[in-house]
Amino acid sequence: MHTGLTRRENLTGWAFTAPALVLLGLFMIYPILWSLYMSFMTGKGMNFKFGGFANIYRLTQDPIFLHALGNTLTFLAIQVPIMIILALVFAVALNNPRLRGRAVLRTAIFLPCVTSLVVYSVLFKSMFADDGVVNDALLFLHIISEPIPWMNDPFWAKVLIILAITWRWTGYNMVFYLAALQNIDPSIYEQARIDGVPARARFFKITIPMLRHVILFTTVLSTIGTLQLFDEVNTITASQGQGGRPADATLTLSLYIYNLTFRFMPSFGYAATISWVIVILVGLLSWAQFRLAREK
Amino acid sequence: MSVTLKSLRKAYGAAEVIKGVDLEITPGEFCVFVGPSGCGKSTLLRMIAGLEEITGGDLVIGGKRMNEVDAAHRGIAMVFQSYALYPHMTVRENMGFALKFAGDNPGTIAKKVDAAAATLGLTKLMDRKPKDLSGGQRQRVAIGRAIVRNPKVFLFDEPLSNLDAELRVHMRIEIARLHQELKTTIIYVTHDQVEAMTLADKIVVLRDGRVEQVGAPLTLYDDPDNIFVAGFIGSPKMNFLKARVQNGQLALVDLPGQTLPLTQSLPEGSEVTVGLRPDIFKRGGTAHLDLTIEIVEQLGAETYAYARAGADIDGQPLTIAVTEGRDLRPGQALKVTFDPARALLFGKDGQRLR
Ligand SMILES: Nc1ncnc2c1ncn2[C@@H]1O[C@H](COP(=O)(O)OP(=O)(O)O)[C@@H](O)[C@H]1O
Ligand SMILES: [Mg+2]
Repeated sequence: MHTGLTRRENLTGWAFTAPALVLLGLFMIYPILWSLYMSFMTGKGMNFKFGGFANIYRLTQDPIFLHALGNTLTFLAIQVPIMIILALVFAVALNNPRLRGRAVLRTAIFLPCVTSLVVYSVLFKSMFADDGVVNDALLFLHIISEPIPWMNDPFWAKVLIILAITWRWTGYNMVFYLAALQNIDPSIYEQARIDGVPARARFFKITIPMLRHVILFTTVLSTIGTLQLFDEVNTITASQGQGGRPADATLTLSLYIYNLTFRFMPSFGYAATISWVIVILVGLLSWAQFRLAREK
Repeated sequence: MSVTLKSLRKAYGAAEVIKGVDLEITPGEFCVFVGPSGCGKSTLLRMIAGLEEITGGDLVIGGKRMNEVDAAHRGIAMVFQSYALYPHMTVRENMGFALKFAGDNPGTIAKKVDAAAATLGLTKLMDRKPKDLSGGQRQRVAIGRAIVRNPKVFLFDEPLSNLDAELRVHMRIEIARLHQELKTTIIYVTHDQVEAMTLADKIVVLRDGRVEQVGAPLTLYDDPDNIFVAGFIGSPKMNFLKARVQNGQLALVDLPGQTLPLTQSLPEGSEVTVGLRPDIFKRGGTAHLDLTIEIVEQLGAETYAYARAGADIDGQPLTIAVTEGRDLRPGQALKVTFDPARALLFGKDGQRLR
């Protein structure tokens, strides 16, 4: 190579980056390659043997896997759009200079994503218990006539998880939109006022297109996050150390991987195969989203 | 359309920014607001546009009071300093966007947009996005977008200040040509007095939220009402010399021992400021000053000499602009002559003594 560096300088450079490279290799690249290798292994516990595509065949025959996949995709398809739209609406509202108490509201909406997971799970569990404050409030307001079984009904348990992750991550996405909005030249909106552009068109024809790149970015991030959904379904809809309740209604791919590895008789090879399913889903969906957002 | 401002005021909380402006702009006039940065030019323009609320007074456009009328319905179009083009739309979409909301059908929009594009030489750029245009082209698109709406009044807020010097001169001429073609009323804000002088039918000099003087460019140049206007209009700047009336003559405080003839009757002992434009020294006359040249700037067609009463005397040097000055050298003694009637006298309050 003709980099103009002497051999000595080159060696010095490698010496400086070596510790980081070793750590990266040891804790990132090696496990990734190892999990790829493992995904072709079958067997329980530490005694496994090469099984070729046996694990992939097992996927197609495994009702629990298909159920977890269905749950995960349901969460994804419903929660991500709701959260993105909500975050956009909050961002546009909080960007209005005439709104009072903007700083406080921004902080309040952002705070959930930095709240401790344990505190948040305990609070949600208690708030959404059969006799928790949410049911009490809804009963008091005569919106419902009997308590909603948030934890014990397959449908409501999914709703609860969607509520919880939306609560936790909307503010995080909103901050990206707020930053992008603040970078927009205010004269563009003044021009729109003079042009007589109505508020709806201002939002859909000016704001949304100008935020397109950030929206894409947050959508990809949220998709990845939701495909890896684990925390909430292993804490809020869990009891006696078993998550995904009731009756696996909130079982996700990540939780299933966890169960396969740490709760059932360990099946490392099969668990590795499922984790590669998540990787492939992330890749496919991100690619599709990039294509959709590309300029015509 | 005429535009009339009647004791127009604007306050942000307790801070008054526009302190009562009266102004009459006749239909088709090119009116330029000029003044130092922060004097309230943009605020005044934005009040006319409907982007700032009016605290007090009346705004009348075409005989109709507009104080509370929405910006979209005032019959105005505005060109912003940053151009404010919609970045995700092509030139064509940018120019036609407002017309969609005015209820024009696509055929009419296309016709209007194409006509404006032809006027401004944008026809080849219609499918580009703003980021693929040069500064001058963006400027043209912003102007085109304004023209398409066929406004009764054009508003420009420092439209040329983001362009380089050469392009600025070029666009200045284009805007002047456009005004001759369209004959629409234009209100144009700038801090650059050269732009004001070259473009305006009427210049409004603002300072600190008040109008200092209104008039045609040459009226302000030849006959300023006060020291501020005299100093602001004209480049290079007017020379100001302190003087006292003594024995029917003007004794120059800054040039000890030198005097100028007094051309108007003033009480003995009055303290005045004498204003001398650098270019009055080009012609001969009965008044004269004895100076020493400090610095010479050769511009080709003209020479600027900066000169003092003597090499060892402090104070602001006088600027002398002459056409026959190629042989001037620093350190050289210079005797300049001029017509004393061209000296302007200002009182202690800065107002012109006539
Ligand atoms: N939103 C605002 N709040 C308070 N003061 C303002 C606001 N906008 C402008 N000003 C003040 O008004 C004065 C005039 O501003 P502006 O019209 O922008 O001046 P310019 O002549 O440079 O265009 C300035 O002193 C500025 O600080
Ligand atoms: Mg300004």
